[in-house]
Amino acid sequence: MQEILAQPRLMTPASQSDQLLIQRIRQGQSEAWAELIARFEGRLLAFVESRLGSRSVAEDLVQETFVGFLTSLPNYDARRPLESYLFTIAAHKLTDHLRREGRRPALPLTSANAKTSSWELPDSARAASSILRSGERRQLEETALVAAMREQIEHWRGRGDWEKIKCLELLLVRGWSNKEVAAQMGLSEQAVANYKYEFLARLRSSVRTQGLPEEVFPELYQGQ
Amino acid sequence: MSQPIRQADLEAYLDEALPTQEMARIEQALRKDRDLVRLLAAIQARRDAGVHSLGEIWRRHRLTCPSRDQLGAYLLDATAKEVADYVTFHLQVVGCRLCLASLSDLRREAAEAPEAAETRRRRYFQSSAGYLRGR
Repeated sequence: MQEILAQPRLMTPASQSDQLLIQRIRQGQSEAWAELIARFEGRLLAFVESRLGSRSVAEDLVQETFVGFLTSLPNYDARRPLESYLFTIAAHKLTDHLRREGRRPALPLTSANAKTSSWELPDSARAASSILRSGERRQLEETALVAAMREQIEHWRGRGDWEKIKCLELLLVRGWSNKEVAAQMGLSEQAVANYKYEFLARLRSSVRTQGLPEEVFPELYQGQ
Repeated sequence: MSQPIRQADLEAYLDEALPTQEMARIEQALRKDRDLVRLLAAIQARRDAGVHSLGEIWRRHRLTCPSRDQLGAYLLDATAKEVADYVTFHLQVVGCRLCLASLSDLRREAAEAPEAAETRRRRYFQSSAGYLRGR
C-alpha cells in the first residue's frame, strides 16, 4: 500500500485484470459486462457531461459508447488500455453529436481529396513529399516511438526529474514555446532548450537504431 | 489577454482532449476564422497521410497520466509531495481532460447516492447486453 502512495504509477498498457474482463465479455458473460459498465460509466459520464452540460444527453451518449464498444469488440486489440479505448469511443460519439448540433465545423478537406501540400503544416520543416505506408507500418512506427518516449520519461521519473517531464509535456503536448515554458516553470530558456534537445536526441537515436523513416517524424528534425 | 490558438491545441481539439473551456474557445474562434478551419483541415490531412506528431502520441498513449489509484490517493491527500505536485500540474496546467473526468467521477462517487449510479448502470446494461456474443 505504501508503495502505491509513494510511487507515481502512470498509465501503462492494458492491465491483466482488464484483459481478463475482456476475455469473459468475449465469451458472452453478462456479469463481466455489468462489471465493465460499473467500472467505467462514471468517468465516461463525467467526460461527456462536462462538454454538454446536459445529464440526459450525456447518459444517452454513454449508452451509445457501450453499444459501440460491444459492436467493435471483434476488432479490439486487448493489449490496448481499456479505459483509453472507451474514452476514444466516447469522444467519437461526442464529436458526432456536436457536429449534428452544429457546434463543430465541417472541415473543407476530407481524406479522400487531401493533397500532399494540404498537410504540410507551417512548422513541419521536413514534411515528406510522399509517405504512403500501410496502417500496419504506421502502427509499428508509432509503437517504436512510444517505447522510446516511455523509456525516457520513466528514466527521468526514476531520478525524480519531474521538472524535465513537465517541460517536455508543455512543449510537445500543449505546443508551448521554449519562452512560455521557461516563464511557467521559472527556468531559463536555455535550460528548457537543453531538456528538449536531450529528449529529442534520444528519440532520434531510437529512430535511427530501428531503421525508421525520418520523414514521418518531422518534429524530431526541426531546426537541425 | 487570451492565449493564442496553437497547432497543438487544434490537434487536441480534434481528439476532444482539451479542457471544456478551451474547447468552447476554439469552437468560437473556428466560427469566425476561416484560416483556422483550413489549419484544422491540414492537421487532419497530415494525420491521414500518416505523419506522426509527438504530442498526439504522448496524449494518445497517456504517457504521463496518473493511474486511477494515483488519482484516488491524490484526492485523499495520500501521495508523496512531488507526485501530488506533478498530478496538480497535469490536471491544472496541461489540463488533461481524461484525468479531469476521472477525478470528477471519483469525487462524485464519494458524494452520490449508490441508488442513482445503480439505476444508470442498469439502464446501460439493459440497452447494450443484447449485443453480447451468444445472447
